[in-house]
Amino acid sequence: MTIATNIADIVSVSLAGQVANPRLSGLPAEPYRLTADGVPFLWPTFGGIVANVSVGDSAFGWAGDCVHPSVSISHPDANKNRGLNVFACVGNEAVVVSGMAQGAKGVVTGKSGRFSEQVIIHFDIETRRKLAVDDRLLVRGAGVGLALPDFTGIAMKSLAPSLFDRLPKRVENGVLHMGVCATVPPHMVGAGAGLTSEGGSLHMQSTDRAALAEHGLDGLRLGDVVAVQDTDSRYNHGYLRGALSIGIVGQTDGPRAGYGPGMTIVMTAIDGQLGSYEAPGTNIADILGLTA
Amino acid sequence: MAVLNTNEASLVEMAVAGTVTTPAVRPGQYIPHPDGRATVLPGMYGVTYNVRCGDRAFGWAGDHVEPGVSIDDDGDSGRHHALHYLNCIGNEAMVTSGLAAGAKGIVIGEHARILVEFAPETHDLMAPGDRVQVMTHGQGLTLTDYPDIALKKMSPRLLHALRITAPEPGRLSVPVAMELPVRIMGSGAELNSEYVDQDLMSGDRALMAELGIDRMRLGDLVAIRHADHHFGRSYRAGAISIALCIHGDSVMTGHGPGILTLMTSAKGCIDFEIDPDANIATRLGLGV
Repeated sequence: MTIATNIADIVSVSLAGQVANPRLSGLPAEPYRLTADGVPFLWPTFGGIVANVSVGDSAFGWAGDCVHPSVSISHPDANKNRGLNVFACVGNEAVVVSGMAQGAKGVVTGKSGRFSEQVIIHFDIETRRKLAVDDRLLVRGAGVGLALPDFTGIAMKSLAPSLFDRLPKRVENGVLHMGVCATVPPHMVGAGAGLTSEGGSLHMQSTDRAALAEHGLDGLRLGDVVAVQDTDSRYNHGYLRGALSIGIVGQTDGPRAGYGPGMTIVMTAIDGQLGSYEAPGTNIADILGLTA
Repeated sequence: MAVLNTNEASLVEMAVAGTVTTPAVRPGQYIPHPDGRATVLPGMYGVTYNVRCGDRAFGWAGDHVEPGVSIDDDGDSGRHHALHYLNCIGNEAMVTSGLAAGAKGIVIGEHARILVEFAPETHDLMAPGDRVQVMTHGQGLTLTDYPDIALKKMSPRLLHALRITAPEPGRLSVPVAMELPVRIMGSGAELNSEYVDQDLMSGDRALMAELGIDRMRLGDLVAIRHADHHFGRSYRAGAISIALCIHGDSVMTGHGPGILTLMTSAKGCIDFEIDPDANIATRLGLGV
């Protein structure tokens, strides 16, 4: 269904970034990270061009730590990177402006926060094979400032208006309910709590695999739309009974304590105007027709 | 109280230096309340003259208020991390330069800086830039008879002051001022359990009042069920952690008083009993 927005007032801006390179800590004791059980591991993690993980794939089971599907970009200047990370919205279009893949188009599918701060962009496999680290990209940022005139208690975050229009939703008794694959309970909200809700990611915790399965989170795919219970994401992310946030799974699971699949939070409300309903299979790869 | 066998005869006591910090403010210094209302508040860095360990954690016109003196070595990453990873709560510190040189204090917390409390008259003499040296002692401390219980940032002095009892084989019981529900544990989930703290999320003010969490004091010992703090901090059913309130409340969503890990058991081998007096100001005799 169609919900009125202020789309006519949304300003679309150019955002520059470069294909990021993976980074690891140096000698002598690193590069290991620790699992929640204290076991050292050395796995690929965020950044770079990932050939074989794409939005639509499982968020679990990879030998990787919070891997970003497809391509990750950032800007070398911290302040400009902040601009890129805040203004890029899920569903925005990106175009390669230098290198062998020049002119190829992609779509923003997520963002990452503290310690990585990258924007995640889907390209097809053919484009990924032509892309090189440091190639320059342009994101046509549009979505910051998005508002719903009939639901003024709902704050919109990091969401392209065009994608919002296509997400499954329905209105019942004055409440806007979004179709979601699963709901993350508040005790399983981890890294990202207390950090900005305008950029970055909020992670569900996956240390307790039984709890993950109990809440139907273990089958999530990259790109799935999920609800986060009792979470207020208006300004930072934090616990508040009755609040609800809607997120899109952006990056894979990882074995570190406090981490699990990351979500880009796209909607939040504290006053009951925002709800959710079970809509298994709701995934932005299908909605936007993104294929590897 | 239980006789706790430890490896403390094997611990290395090592001096690590820091410097009294001075408040820093970022451009665009406003921080948002949960409803977006902007504010500017003091609390972090430097010497906090009128907030001490044992005082209330809530209600200050401040944000993340750090009691005592906040020291760091922010010019050198290696030295900064040595200070952060080697210091333990209850370690002795000494002022080594400035008007208060020679005065002794005690480590009462670790935020982005190490928090050391001295006598009020020493605080009056201290200035940003003064050198403070911590005789670090406790990293590596283990309980010989409790392999499923890990100690974090725990000095032997603090361990023996906590009034721990051993109700049954393989289990310890710790007096704490209050219990925190794991669902309110927030900012800091991305950090190691030996580095800094994790804020409890105080944004649900009604819940803070319902559970009496708003009566928390700086220095209070707390228990958190289903929190595994062995290697980072995460939800694990049946686990338990014992922690320490090290800084004051915050107005920001996802933040609140800082909770620093002292003990943890993924297998849940720690019990607790509520004792309103369970605060390190009284346990360590800090003179409040």
